[in-house]
Amino acid sequence: MAEFMHDNPKLVERLRDPATVREAFGEVIAQYSEPLYRQIRRMVQKHDDANDLLQNTFLKAWSNIEYFRGDARLGTWLYKIAVNETLSHLDRERKRKGVSLDDQEASLINSIEADTDIDGDMLALRLRKAIATLPEKQRLVFNMRYYDDMPYDEISAVLGTSVGALKASYHIAVKKVEQFFSDGD
Amino acid sequence: MKEDNDILKTIGRSDGMTVPDGYFADFAERMAGQLPQRPELAAMNVVAPPASLWGKLRPYVYMAAMFAGVWCMLKIFTTVSGPQQLAPMDKNPVMAKAFGSDEFFSDYVLDDVSSNDVIDDIMDEGIDLDSLMLDFE
Repeated sequence: MAEFMHDNPKLVERLRDPATVREAFGEVIAQYSEPLYRQIRRMVQKHDDANDLLQNTFLKAWSNIEYFRGDARLGTWLYKIAVNETLSHLDRERKRKGVSLDDQEASLINSIEADTDIDGDMLALRLRKAIATLPEKQRLVFNMRYYDDMPYDEISAVLGTSVGALKASYHIAVKKVEQFFSDGD
Repeated sequence: MKEDNDILKTIGRSDGMTVPDGYFADFAERMAGQLPQRPELAAMNVVAPPASLWGKLRPYVYMAAMFAGVWCMLKIFTTVSGPQQLAPMDKNPVMAKAFGSDEFFSDYVLDDVSSNDVIDDIMDEGIDLDSLMLDFE
């Protein structure tokens, strides 16, 4: 399991105590900001958008912290919020630009090509383009499984999809990515 | 299922994305500073109360109540519809009339009785079969 998905029971306990909740939430931000940022950025591609959405995620989590009772993992709960924020953002962008889901693929690929916050790894960049051609939910599944190495049951808890369907979705996504690279060779 | 093909193994798990210098270094501090004050949290019972005895017993009580409800429903149905179903046939005027008719007996009842059943009944009644045979002679 991805390291950041492990819950710290003491931290969770402090989140449920009014006297320590604010301080504990600061630690949550420090612990989860990078993995959540990466998950968001892989979907929206632009750093500025990812930054805004990450802040919205933590603001939403903070305004609903009393509803986190420790039944679910803290990481799963935060991922859910981040995924919802990201999908809402992509939906708003589509409506604002008047484009369909298919047309948004071209927009994402343009954003990847224009991205300056990259380490120069051209294969990794090409993989990002391949992932951008996947349907939205398949992209989420692929990103969580491939990059974050999240177990299927955790992804299932975040996305509310059965483990069997997720395995099938990931398998299809891998085949499509493979096809993308084959077509380009 | 072979999930990751060769090209994915070649690329590795790096997404190649970077962030502006120092972005994560002070993000937590900046973000914590943006969080609005929530004085209402102090008044709320954020800490889950320890489970009470009622809280622990509640599911079992609900289950017992459900079974009791089902039992009561069955009892009511039996009380309402039972006596009619269990009434003897001679209480039913139609059946009583039918059984009082020799024609009905010979057409519908006696045809279903085998000779073995008749002999068994005679023996159960303690009637001597030989005496019967004598009567016919």
